Amino acid sequence: MKPQDFTLTRRSFLAGAVAAGVALVVPLRLPAAWARQSEAAGLSQAYIRIDTNGQVTFLLPTSEMGQGSHTGQAQILAEELGADWSSIVVGMPTQPTSDYRIPFIGQMRSVGSFGIRFWHDPLRRAAAQAREMLTQAAAERLGVAPAALHAENGFIVHSGSGRRIPFGELVKDAMALPVPEEPTLRPDGERTLTGHAIPRLDASAKVTGRAVYSVDVEREGMLYGAARLAPVFSADVESFDEGSVAGMPGVVAVVRVPRGAVVVAESWWQARQAADALDITFTRTLADTLSTDEINERFREGLDRPDVPVSTLRGDAEATLASEGRVVEAEYSVPLLAHACMEPINCTAEATEERTELWIGTQGQDVVRMTLENALQLPAEQLFINTTYLGGGFGRKTHGEIALQAVLASRAVGGRPTKVLWTRENDVQQGQYRQTMMCRFRAALDEAGNITGMRIRVAGPQMGLEYGIDPEQRAQETGNLANFDPFSLGGLSDMHYVIPNFVVEHAVVDLPIPLCPWRSIAHSFNGFFFESFMDECAAAAGRDPLEFRRSHCAGQERMLAVLDRVAEMSRWSEPAPEGIARGLAVVESYGSYVAQVVEARVDDEGIDVQRVHAAIDCGRAINPAQVEAQLQGAVIDALGMALRQKVTIRDGRAEQSNFHDYPLLRIGEAPSVAVSIVEIGSPLGGVGEPGIPPLAPALANALFATTRQRIRYLPLTDHIRSRSIA
Amino acid sequence: MTAFTLNGREVEVTAEPSTPLLWVIREQLKLTGTKFGCGVAQCGACTLHVDGEPVRACVFPLSGAEGRSVTTIEGLSEDGSHPVQQAWVELDVPQCGYCQSGQIMSAAALLARNPSPSDAEIDEAMHGNLCRCGTYMRIRAAIHRASEA
Repeated sequence: MKPQDFTLTRRSFLAGAVAAGVALVVPLRLPAAWARQSEAAGLSQAYIRIDTNGQVTFLLPTSEMGQGSHTGQAQILAEELGADWSSIVVGMPTQPTSDYRIPFIGQMRSVGSFGIRFWHDPLRRAAAQAREMLTQAAAERLGVAPAALHAENGFIVHSGSGRRIPFGELVKDAMALPVPEEPTLRPDGERTLTGHAIPRLDASAKVTGRAVYSVDVEREGMLYGAARLAPVFSADVESFDEGSVAGMPGVVAVVRVPRGAVVVAESWWQARQAADALDITFTRTLADTLSTDEINERFREGLDRPDVPVSTLRGDAEATLASEGRVVEAEYSVPLLAHACMEPINCTAEATEERTELWIGTQGQDVVRMTLENALQLPAEQLFINTTYLGGGFGRKTHGEIALQAVLASRAVGGRPTKVLWTRENDVQQGQYRQTMMCRFRAALDEAGNITGMRIRVAGPQMGLEYGIDPEQRAQETGNLANFDPFSLGGLSDMHYVIPNFVVEHAVVDLPIPLCPWRSIAHSFNGFFFESFMDECAAAAGRDPLEFRRSHCAGQERMLAVLDRVAEMSRWSEPAPEGIARGLAVVESYGSYVAQVVEARVDDEGIDVQRVHAAIDCGRAINPAQVEAQLQGAVIDALGMALRQKVTIRDGRAEQSNFHDYPLLRIGEAPSVAVSIVEIGSPLGGVGEPGIPPLAPALANALFATTRQRIRYLPLTDHIRSRSIA
Repeated sequence: MTAFTLNGREVEVTAEPSTPLLWVIREQLKLTGTKFGCGVAQCGACTLHVDGEPVRACVFPLSGAEGRSVTTIEGLSEDGSHPVQQAWVELDVPQCGYCQSGQIMSAAALLARNPSPSDAEIDEAMHGNLCRCGTYMRIRAAIHRASEA
């Protein structure tokens, strides 16, 4: 298997070139370079190119950041096309066309666990179109009906006679054929790649050091930039003294960028030392005194407001709460989180007057484009984005700021290629962050101990507008009342329990802190809030947490299916093993339902999570081994988050700086994670994110089960020790 | 001028002796398999071998390499055939993959001194290598697999 081929991805998408006497009719979607040479070379379809030598190349719509989308998408394409899996090459386009944009976002973006669940159908259709064109060409050549032929391992095969023609030999004829509007998809019995645990395409490159992340990009004559940014997020540069670093080894330039400066030098180490030494002052701002305590106070003020707008309303929760005998109340909160991708934020730019080329591990190619359009009026047709592998994304790499820094730096040194690389300290201290949120619940229980009414009020920032989602418009589209910001309310307003009287309100408290979605977005905190509170209600009713949840799931087949599976896996109906505490949670997010049971030992030394059971219903698992990997990884990721991660603010700045005080989980703390995939014919759901939300509440619920201590504020180690602290 | 052996080849480089070896190897010697993650020996992404011992290259000064033998992921095997690399592929360990060079170098050093480590010994030896994707379960399994090779 070949590694990702970046020479192919550098070709440009210029529609005009199609006019240059090209026979193929799929055009405006074609990369220009392909279109120009296609008469001699290849059959192109959106996402697919087949050369006359038979080489099949897939240009994929989703960035590969570890979630396995490239492998899964290639499985879908290769299977439907009938390509030879062992010889395909994958890459990404340098200029997104409409084929690469998710229509309801309007952008090329790798977010929302859409890699498989959204792209499955468009990719499959495109591959079927290409296959039918090849088949038609072969039918004409062999003088047989297309129905007598099939595509297999890079050949069109005539079963009757055993004759077969390699794809490459059919390319020229196929290019002259019309693209079928309604291609016939392969029947289920011919789906030989999807549904199977195919090894990752990128594994070999990633165990030999050959995989190219943007931090590894090498350009001739390249310079290196290190950033010195305002420690208070809303501050900007007041002044800096270029002379303070002019004599330092290797220093080439000091470049003003929004909220700071980039020092450019012959090596990154020189750039970094100079950036540290740079004499720079930042403006004073109203946020200079901001603290975590003040944020929490503002949140509580928000929760106490008399006029918080109602987003979601069913029945009359207030009346129910006033009339039922038993009311359960609780307040929860989560802190800011850094994304801490293992690959620190970076971008390489080669920016001249006529042409800007970037190498960047990005989740948001169109965000990068728009950032440069807005800041520099850079015309889109002059911008070429080489999307490399991402050393982690988790939502952080949907921002364009680093691209702007790199372009400004390259421009300042006459267009020489310049790689701007943030330190880990930049990454932890300069944002972006997962937002901090606070939430208050009131629930009314009837005599049987069922929830008859619930009021949920959250306080925190609203992020939708920044991400192109108008909360008012979204409220109308989703049947909510007003002010529906999915970045804040996802997982609350659309939760799946049957609660007849239900209200969700959002007290918007904006913060002068740069925010950005974090793996599973609002579900990363609302899952913790809601599933912890469900446990509180179960305890108040004196009922088993599983039985209590099931009894609020009438008609919710997918909820019940994953709950029952995880109960079976964890032998929930039997007493927990001696000394082991168990906790349960179930959350739907991004189209998939995940239930988890955490098994933890809790003693005087602290908490030790030993085993996690996870059941997922993501529809059909395109690659079961990758579904398992994502669930296992999400559990580890979420466990580190739940136990220890927080960014706190003091004097307007982040108090944490690197992995010593922003600790990820280490191997010795990693539990074993058993994953079971529930297939009950559900539509395709996401896989990268849905494993995150249930873990924190399942863990907090396990703690409660044994200690009777209800921890409502993350991280947990603010309240209880972890046994194997780093 | 600092002279050392890199993946079996004699090299000479000119840089400030205090420059971390990581940047010399990545930028001057153009071997980018060794990664930058934290700069303070907290994450292990930059792990390579100096005379067979795992070292965090982000805090190891160039001067410390003088006359010694340095092995990076590119030198662990020519073609990915080292038992640890093979086990990593067989068990599909990498996700984003960014930390895996360091993980593999730590694992190879462990197996060189302890051919069949227990889970506890694996956890101890791999403690300094972070993985945000959470591939630890498969890392543990892959080390066991490699130890059987």
